[in-house]
Amino acid sequence: MSIYIQSASQISFQQPLCEKWLDEPILPIQSFNQPMEPDYKQFIAPAESRRMGKLLKRAVATALDTLAKGGCEMPDAIISGTGLGCVENTEKFLNAVIDNEEECLPPTPFMQSTHNTISSQISLKLQCHGYNSTYSHRGTSFDSALLDAVMQLQLGRVNTALVGGYDEMTPAYFKMLGKLGYWRDGDVSIDELKKDGIPGAISGGASVSALLGNKNTQNALCQLVDTEIFSCNSVEKLQNKLHSFLNRCQSETAEIDAVMCGLSGDKANDDVYRDLLCKEFPTIPTLWYKHLFGESFCASGYGIYCASHLLNAGKVPDLLIYNGKFEKFVVNNILIINHFQNNDFSLTLLTKCHN
Amino acid sequence: MEQLIEELKKEIIEVLNLEEMTPADIDENAPLFGEGLGLDSIDALELIVLMEKNYGIKLQNAEQGKEIFKSVRVMAEYIQEHRTK
Repeated sequence: MSIYIQSASQISFQQPLCEKWLDEPILPIQSFNQPMEPDYKQFIAPAESRRMGKLLKRAVATALDTLAKGGCEMPDAIISGTGLGCVENTEKFLNAVIDNEEECLPPTPFMQSTHNTISSQISLKLQCHGYNSTYSHRGTSFDSALLDAVMQLQLGRVNTALVGGYDEMTPAYFKMLGKLGYWRDGDVSIDELKKDGIPGAISGGASVSALLGNKNTQNALCQLVDTEIFSCNSVEKLQNKLHSFLNRCQSETAEIDAVMCGLSGDKANDDVYRDLLCKEFPTIPTLWYKHLFGESFCASGYGIYCASHLLNAGKVPDLLIYNGKFEKFVVNNILIINHFQNNDFSLTLLTKCHN
Repeated sequence: MEQLIEELKKEIIEVLNLEEMTPADIDENAPLFGEGLGLDSIDALELIVLMEKNYGIKLQNAEQGKEIFKSVRVMAEYIQEHRTK
């Protein structure tokens, strides 16, 4: 059975709910990046949104936009990934616990501090009573949600699944991660991020979703051949996993037109990609996306989102090319590789729709 | 009393995140729940927290809330009579 990405949308520091980044990308000027908010009134009535935190508004708007673009009123499943849930509300609640000496605690931030609030809020908005699940597996949260959706479709339990990755970066959390050396100091230009051996990436939130279905609709962006997540602690083992994944997809490295990686500019993150690319794909162009969408627990969702739209658009803007050159102008197959802390990996193969 | 009503309206707007509203939009005699502002049970919890945090009033049982939260004016009258801060 074939699986298609019927639509995909995002809110980030690029223009929200559209693909203007293909032609007019917004380049980061600092490590701390906040999303560009769309007009939420188009999606959520003021009375409804007053109790929603920023991340919930983003998630609902992204989900509704994805469904509208996919021509789907009601998905059979809503599956979300989130590393931290609505962390802004968690912070509000915890600060109130301290400030009010464990008394007079506000109920709204408490309710919204649970991770599964996001998936629940989307289903409440849609009145969707189908399968609803949330994965909170740090850097593989989105990938886990995607894998679940693919398996649900493969088993024939659902015909459509809305998959999303949602996370927010608060100033307090940014500061904490900064102390651990997560973020780039100073210059965050693309050339600087590409330089080898420098620590730190740029941050971003995540609100990205895709509608998966078993039908090749008129507007479908691409076909999802397969996806896999696994733990692995050496490049040799990663190579073996890659070969068995491509065998299962009945594909070979030579058939891959581009490899989309979670390269972020952070040496600790990028070295494993460089090593693998050098050994397995020395002549195939490498694409990246985190320089335009930032690093977050669900950033890998933007990899799927970007690759889907590149396959649909049939073009790859120069800014998305990390290195290499396209010998031909047709891009049919994109392999997406992501990892979290050099240990948890995901592989996804997307191919152009053949109508 | 009028000053307390104005203060209370501002606090209600803030705590319930009524972004679109100003104090002038709230009729102090209109019901807070059902009609009027159309608040719900979660809002009732927020108002109970507001009463305790800002005015030191601890409601002993939920039944009291039905009377106290009838309108902003009734709420203000109760606060004026029972406030400890």
